[in-house]
Amino acid sequence: MWALYLAPAALRPSAVTFVTLACSSTLDIIGVVASAIVARGLRRIFPPDLAAVDGIDLDIEEGRIFGFLGANGSGKTTTIRMLTTLLRPTEGSATVDGYDVVKDAAKVRARVGVALQEASLDLVMTGRETLLLQARLYRVPRGEVRQRVGDLLRIVDLEEAADRRVGTYSGGMQRRLDLAAALVHRPRIVFLDEPTSGLDPISRNTIWRYVEDLNRNDGVTFFLTTQYLEEADRLAHEVAIMERGRIVAQGAPAELKASIGADVVTVRLEDRNAQPDRALAAVKAIGGLTDVRVVGDSVVVYTKDGSSAIAPIVLALNEATVAVEEVTLARPTLDDVFLRKTGHHIEAQDREPEGVEGAAS
Amino acid sequence: MIDTMLDVYQLTLRSLREVVRQPAFEVQNYFIPLFFFAVTVGALGNVSERAFGLENYRAFAMPVAILQGAAGGASYSALAMVTDIERGYFDKLLLTPTPRISLVLGRLFGDGIRVVIITAVILIVGAIFGTGMEAGVAGYIAILILAGLFGLAYAGFGLAIALRTGSPQAAQAGFLIFFPLLFLAPAFAPKEFFSPWLEFLATINPVTYILEGMRALISEGWDWEKIGAALLAIAVLAAINMPLALWALRHRTA
Repeated sequence: MWALYLAPAALRPSAVTFVTLACSSTLDIIGVVASAIVARGLRRIFPPDLAAVDGIDLDIEEGRIFGFLGANGSGKTTTIRMLTTLLRPTEGSATVDGYDVVKDAAKVRARVGVALQEASLDLVMTGRETLLLQARLYRVPRGEVRQRVGDLLRIVDLEEAADRRVGTYSGGMQRRLDLAAALVHRPRIVFLDEPTSGLDPISRNTIWRYVEDLNRNDGVTFFLTTQYLEEADRLAHEVAIMERGRIVAQGAPAELKASIGADVVTVRLEDRNAQPDRALAAVKAIGGLTDVRVVGDSVVVYTKDGSSAIAPIVLALNEATVAVEEVTLARPTLDDVFLRKTGHHIEAQDREPEGVEGAAS
Repeated sequence: MIDTMLDVYQLTLRSLREVVRQPAFEVQNYFIPLFFFAVTVGALGNVSERAFGLENYRAFAMPVAILQGAAGGASYSALAMVTDIERGYFDKLLLTPTPRISLVLGRLFGDGIRVVIITAVILIVGAIFGTGMEAGVAGYIAILILAGLFGLAYAGFGLAIALRTGSPQAAQAGFLIFFPLLFLAPAFAPKEFFSPWLEFLATINPVTYILEGMRALISEGWDWEKIGAALLAIAVLAAINMPLALWALRHRTA
């Protein structure tokens, strides 16, 4: 009991939680867990009429890791900017830790930690100076600042580089510093905008570990956007897939994968000039398949029993004189969920837009 | 309130630290005014008594150098602010609980302090080359204060442009606009020798009064009327630029 009492505020069950519970009849409360982030009909229109975020609803419970998945330009960053008070919603409302992001913007800011895209740091400052300034602006008690900054530098493994200028840091080091900067005031809710994009696998893993530890040991709620399905799959308790400003699917990764309710047979056609239309028609004619789509140079088939569907598919394509390069059978992944909901692969969008045709399911 | 003041203090320190670490930015603020000072004194110094009845042209030219240095120094923040915006660091600052105004004040005070340092160096060089100071030692301090206040008032203009546009070129233009203001004031000769149109423009130009206030301290002594006019002119500049900067800040955070 004493140990709990003496623990830093961030480790104790927060009194704020109960206050929020007691006086937030308008908030959605599921059981006894308060919502950390709630959005209703959140919209942002950039002049003249680009709806970057086009009416989204969110209910994110405390202590969860929420993954916001989407390609570039799907509205992830705009959503984060609205939830963290950097951008005003055109319509709709949102609360973070019970505070309205427009009316109580200052209270929201004091309660959340944010690491924006591409590690937005001052290259002329040293790592230590960055954290010291951050700690002071977040009103960390003066006596604790040095200690806290020292601890954070150790946690993100930047002790040796602490007194070097940020400009000399590698991409991975900058991200780690940025993450530490988001944590100086021990926020209960942390927003991370593409925390690992452009990082090598080792650095990526390191960031993932920090997020998992903070979530598991300290109950910190994370809202993170990502283009990496693997990241969402590994970290997130719940995932929302964003496409053109709207949420097209939402749920636990396992649920989403199960919702496809099918195996995935991918048939790669022999060359890019093959006739996907003909292939599509031929495979659809088989019947009994859950869904058939053309993606790039492949025909993707969703079906209850993949292994027994392969033979008819290959036969049908052979009859239609479509040459087949490769056939693969797989359990559904988040990528398949994404593909099913949006009609394209997420990472493929980074490189080039693909011609996409979909068959009705 | 105390928290906000501490924030401003920290942000001012940050602004000053940047300059110490990137001294190349600062060199021009010393070099350009002193170069102009040297060449105008070299060109006009010998004829100034016959032409304008000015015995000590160095004393006459000194405030021009000071204002050039001050305007250069006061333009640094605008560029630094644009860099912060481009790097996304400005967003990081906006995300902290500090009131928005402290982000602007931190930059302004940083500029103000740098302007005082630049002015001190220019005054020392001037003193070595015989500009003199009729108002005595306190006159030096008065000029440092006037220059610092001018720096604060002028910096708001560049900050407004930086916040509104986020463009480095535009922020530079904020500095360039000072040149017409300076040369539409009695920079090279007393106003009485100007053509009527230029004399009129000089009369409505606030920079004229700041120049004349500093000049009075150097060549005449404590002329309170002129010093008061200089302070008033600085207040007018501040009254235009500060609301502009705050408006631009609000616009950026909407």
